Amino acid sequence: MLFLDVGLNRGRFRLEVRLECDEGVTGLFGPSGSGKSTALGIVAGLLRPDRGRIVLDGETLYDGADGVCLPPHRRRIGLVFQDSQLFPHYSVKGNLLYGLKKIPERERRFAFDGIVDLLALRPLLNAHPRRISGGEKQRVALGRSLLASPRLLLLDEPLASLDTGLKAQILPFLQKIRDELKLPMIYVSHALPEILQLTDRLAVLDQGRILAAGRLDEILQRGSEARHFGPDNILAVTVELHDLESGCTLARFGNLPLVLPLRTDQEIGRTAYVSVHRGEIALSRNAVPELSIQNQWPGRVSKIESRGSGVQVYLDAGVPLIAEISPRAYRELALQEGEIMYALIKTRSFAYLAARTMLDQSASP
Amino acid sequence: MLTPEEWSALWLSLKVSVWCVAAILPPGVLLGWLLARKQFYGKALVEAVVHLPMVLPPVVTGYMLLLALGRNGWLGRWLHEGLGVSVAFSWKGAVIASAVMSFPLMVRAVRLAMSLIEPRLEQAASTLGAGPLRVFFSITLPLAAPGLVTGAILSFARSLGEFGATITFVGNIEGETRTLPLALYTYTQTPGTEEPALRLALISMAAAFAALIGSEILTRRAEQRLSGD
Repeated sequence: MLFLDVGLNRGRFRLEVRLECDEGVTGLFGPSGSGKSTALGIVAGLLRPDRGRIVLDGETLYDGADGVCLPPHRRRIGLVFQDSQLFPHYSVKGNLLYGLKKIPERERRFAFDGIVDLLALRPLLNAHPRRISGGEKQRVALGRSLLASPRLLLLDEPLASLDTGLKAQILPFLQKIRDELKLPMIYVSHALPEILQLTDRLAVLDQGRILAAGRLDEILQRGSEARHFGPDNILAVTVELHDLESGCTLARFGNLPLVLPLRTDQEIGRTAYVSVHRGEIALSRNAVPELSIQNQWPGRVSKIESRGSGVQVYLDAGVPLIAEISPRAYRELALQEGEIMYALIKTRSFAYLAARTMLDQSASP
Repeated sequence: MLTPEEWSALWLSLKVSVWCVAAILPPGVLLGWLLARKQFYGKALVEAVVHLPMVLPPVVTGYMLLLALGRNGWLGRWLHEGLGVSVAFSWKGAVIASAVMSFPLMVRAVRLAMSLIEPRLEQAASTLGAGPLRVFFSITLPLAAPGLVTGAILSFARSLGEFGATITFVGNIEGETRTLPLALYTYTQTPGTEEPALRLALISMAAAFAALIGSEILTRRAEQRLSGD
């Protein structure tokens, strides 16, 4: 278990982070420049904070008051960078062995062959790092970190430089590390769907501060942090029924019934995370009968914000929703704060992020 | 082909240059690394002092060495009385003059090579459990190898051609401090020795050319090793 409470001043940038991470995966979510990598650097020991305390499994790694600051090579914390950073003068095998060979046999947590097989690295062992693909590099970087027997693995946007297809190829490996090796991980990303593939326990970081931490559905319930998740509305919904005949999955969002695209792999009664883009939500003064749009929810307009080319309308439908409409639509509707509007959302506008069922497996130690 | 005097000059030049490179390589690597990777008080001053011989007239450098390391110089006296070592007017002094003159080239080459190394490679190594010493010897130094080679060869070539500081500091003593350029200079000052002067000039040019070609080949080979070809 990691306890982190640190502060750092770098000119205009100020970082104040307090975070506790249990077993399993903790997501660290935030836009670029929010201080995610800085926070990881502090945990790994690459950056020295100005004040605070870092404790890992009962061992103090940093204590500003006592002047304790363990150097990175004594922390046994693995770090995987976005761009692999494989050693160009070693082969893939040499990279994998770099940390491993200096660790006494009885202190090794993972066997070489086990990790090589887990990450499917055997065909690459004799290759040169420059001669393998981006996805392969990232697998080697993962393996190299794991073989150094870390107590905690930090992943700094490990998929950000890979294209979508490759991301999907690496994720199963990360899930394997989570499920088979039971290694605590902190996963940093600015892409919420990516984090949700691994965990829904996360902390939201913005401008050097933790805005919210906990399980995503609980964070969403509190509502105030919804705007930090980018242009998508993220909804934690309860799956109720798969209606094969009508081709829909029915769910409940707070007190609202929800019609979603059919996805039978989402377990009934469980929480699923779905997203809908702000621009995909239409507003209407009345419910519209005889319309193909299945989801029509009344809500009170709590705030109207004109930003750039769009008008952001904050709607309180028992749960917070944000719709983005054009300034023209805003003028014609003569929208006022405090009035009741219907949010109209097409079934097909919803995208599934992840189901808690899958994430639950990670929570059990 | 060559007269014994010419052989002696050539041999002496090679000896001085080899010793010069051997002497400045370790401190050059250390200082290059410090300048590339560390921030410390007085860094600008250190840099200025190291680079001074590049912009000063070599005669001035030689004269300063003479003042400091000559028999009556503060450092020279201490060396002579304390350790029984005398560098003035000996080939060892020629090594020192060459070293001071070529040190900036070595430091610059190492510094450039090391500043081009991605710092996160070193950070990655440290998170894998490598202490500062292992990081330096297993990551920084091998990755800076092309720069080290360039620095060594440039220093070697600079040392082969050293004239001003050497003649001012240790004089022009045949068989002791008369290196190739000094011998060439001596011939040009003596009537009727155009032929050996020309021979030595050609040898100098060949040596410089060989050094540059060698540098190119070695650098390319080191870079190829890093890029996996």
